[in-house]
Formats: sequence, structure tokens, C-alpha cells
Amino acid sequence: MVWGTIIAAYLFLAGLSAGAFLTSSYSARRYPNSADVRIVGRLISPILMGIGLLLLILDAEAGLKNPLRFLYLFTNFKSVMTIGTYFISFFMMAAAYIALMELLKKEINKVIEYVGIVFAVATAIYTGFLIGVIGAVPLWNTAILPILFVVSALSTGIAGTMLGAALVDKKVIHQVLSIKKIHLTLLVTEVFLLFTMFLVTSSTNESAAQSVSKLLTGEYSAFFWVGLVIIGLLVPIIIEGLELFSYKKLSNSRAGQEVAAGGTSGITSTLLTESAVLAGGFILRYLLLAAAVPIIFL
Amino acid sequence: MARYGMMIDTRKCVGCYACRVSCQMQNELPVEESFIKFYEKETGIFPNVKNEIIPVQCQHCEDAPCVSVCPTKATYTTAEGIVLVDSEKCIGCKYCMVACDYGARTQNHETGVVEKCRFCSELVAEGKQPACVTTCISNARIFGDLDDPNSEVSRAIVRLNAQPLRPDLGKAKIYYVR
Repeated sequence: MVWGTIIAAYLFLAGLSAGAFLTSSYSARRYPNSADVRIVGRLISPILMGIGLLLLILDAEAGLKNPLRFLYLFTNFKSVMTIGTYFISFFMMAAAYIALMELLKKEINKVIEYVGIVFAVATAIYTGFLIGVIGAVPLWNTAILPILFVVSALSTGIAGTMLGAALVDKKVIHQVLSIKKIHLTLLVTEVFLLFTMFLVTSSTNESAAQSVSKLLTGEYSAFFWVGLVIIGLLVPIIIEGLELFSYKKLSNSRAGQEVAAGGTSGITSTLLTESAVLAGGFILRYLLLAAAVPIIFL
Repeated sequence: MARYGMMIDTRKCVGCYACRVSCQMQNELPVEESFIKFYEKETGIFPNVKNEIIPVQCQHCEDAPCVSVCPTKATYTTAEGIVLVDSEKCIGCKYCMVACDYGARTQNHETGVVEKCRFCSELVAEGKQPACVTTCISNARIFGDLDDPNSEVSRAIVRLNAQPLRPDLGKAKIYYVR
């Protein structure tokens, strides 16, 4: 494994950070009264991206010993990594500015926020392109992988933001119903994308088939089925689905509407779901790096 | 301008590792690091079986994926077609290691820089042959100018119908007789 846990954590954090930024921007527009979701999203976004970048620097040993070399990262426009460096730089600057303004309780420059939104999307998709363009690893070299990474980035971004918001204010999570609906849709989409990717990729060539069988039945199968499929996807889908279903039932009666609006129901299920989604997001990236089987050249 | 390449006749290779050792000495590599890897491939059905020993190093691809993915331009191709790493520019991100079709790159654990076969460019500049070629006990390796139809390597490639390991993957410049 050339790229291991550290890079998996970086890919995860970059996606999570971009997703949290987009969640906060969405929430700021859709729910101006539920400030906590917006604030949490805006604050965790640059922090998580910063941690991700530190991990990246730690993994790049030669650069760690000669930090000025990192400036060369901006030079090769043929490299997806160089393009990504620009994306992340712009995203990080916008996210840091917005977090700072949020802390100072000042008005946020709308243009910078839109720039942030564009580069948050770019950052999320870049993490997929980074490994997606590697022809030497057929498991990664698929058009669906960057899409899967974006969906996972948004889903973990929502999870991270909601988890933080729930810890700050128990009520707030019951007021942002559309975010929960989007989240459920993303999780179901992720299952579909994962299934499609494995089904199609496993028929590409021998290396790809080996990668897929490593995940489904081989050395990573326990991690895949329990960690990613059950904990990371099915558990959150079931809990979130049941929650949305009960909201629907609640809003059919007057008393129920008050309960829902008051947000008196607990946050246990939210904490559980969102933590599970975050775990799943990391496991997804770790497994895709771990199960990489290079093409056969002999 | 020359366009350097190599031919390796795997039928002559006995797997003695002399090329690997001389390469390590020429490049002053630590014992655990080497630019030449040995693979074995069994083919055929018993009793008609064959075991090939295939030494693999950087193939100096003309359209090298390592050159295009390297974010710092540390990896580059010289005018003579040799793919080199500028150790002063490499940050050790290992993107090239992931992208190399032949798993030909290693990371130096002291400096963190990613390294690989350099076709002994300093020897070649002096008109000499790479260390692996001069050391080979069975003359399995021939090095030279692929653009010169009369060079020893070009003629051997034609005569023995040598092919890159995976001609479909890109324009590798090491030709193998299998």
C-alpha cells in the first residue's frame, strides 16, 4: 500500500470539510433561524481541511524535511494534484475567511461565499479525480468513483455538521428537516453507486476483479460489510428513514406538530447516525486505497 | 539527439541479481532499496512448462504517467528520453509511485525522495554503458540509441522481435525477449 491510512484520512477530511461548508451555506439560506447548523458547519470546515492538509504534509516526507519544496506543487498543470492544490487553496482561504467573520459576528462578503461554494464542490470532486485518473489501478480508474466521492463528501459533511450542531443545541436538529431528507437521499445514492461501481468494475480486467473480491469476500470483507455497508450505510439509512417517517406521523396531529416543532425528542439517534456516517466515510476511502491492485504487466 | 532504450533477453537471464547489486552500488543505495525488481512467471501446461525470470526497472516511457502526475515537476524527461527525478524538487507525495504501471519506483527512507532507475545518465553522458548492462554475466542486456537503426540495440530488437512488457500501456523504452 503506497498510499495508506494517512492519505485515506486526508481524502476523508477534505470531503468532509467541503461537505460541511456546503451544508452550512445551504442551511444559511434555507433555515436563517437555525443559526447553529450554519455556525457549526462554517467553523468545522476550515479546521478539518487544515487537519487534512497537515496529514498530507506529514505523509510527504521529502517535503516535510524541506518545506519550501511545497511551493513547486503549483507548477505542473498536467497533474491533478497541482489542480487540486489550487482548488484547496482557494477553498481554504474562503472557508477560513467565512469562519473568521462568523466568529467576529460580521457580515459575510457574498462573493467570497459563492467562490467558497464553487471551490468546495471542486475540492470534493478533486479527491475522486486524484485517484480516478490513475490508470495503473483499475479499481480507481472508473468514471463513477469521483461521483461516489462527491456524494460521500456531501453525506459526511452533513453528518459532521449535524453532529456538531446536535451537541451545541438539541433542538436544532429537529428544525432542519430538508437536510435530513437530502442526507437520506445521498446515503441511498451511495449504496447504488457502490453497487454499480463494483458490478461494472469487477468485469473490467483481472486486477479490478481481484480488488473487488478483496473487498467483498477477501481480506477486507469484514471491514467492508460490517464497517462500510452495515454501520456506514444501512444503519444510518434505517434510523434516518424511521425518523423521517415518524416526523411525518407526528405532523399529522396537532400535538405531534408541537412535539416536532419543540424538538423535545432526543438526540441519541442523531448522534448515532451521524457518527456511523462519518465512520463509513473514512472506511470507504481506506478500503478503496487498501484494495488497490495494480495492473498486471508481466 | 539520441533516444536511449534497452533490450533485455529474458531467455539469457539466470536471475543472479548481479545487475541489481551493481545498480545499488552505482547509485549508492541502501541494501533494502533497489531499482531493479525480479519477477518470475510460469507459463504452459505440464509437462510443457517454462519459468521466465523478468528483471523490471523504470521503462523510461515516452508518455510516462509519472511525469504527468508529478505535481512539482520533479520528475521530467531529458532530451535523450531518460526519465529522471530532481531530488531537490521531490516532496515525496508518492503520486508517481501510485501512477507507475510497472511499480518501478521506490522511496528513499532517509530523504523521503522517490527514486528509480536513471539509465545511469552520468555514465551514459561519458559515453559509457549503464552499470546493469556492463555487469550482466550473460549479456542479457543491450543499451543504446533506439533512433539509430544501426545501433546494436535497435538491430537486436528487430532480429529477436523484442517487445515492451505491455505495448498497450504506453511507449515503454525497454524491450523484452520472452
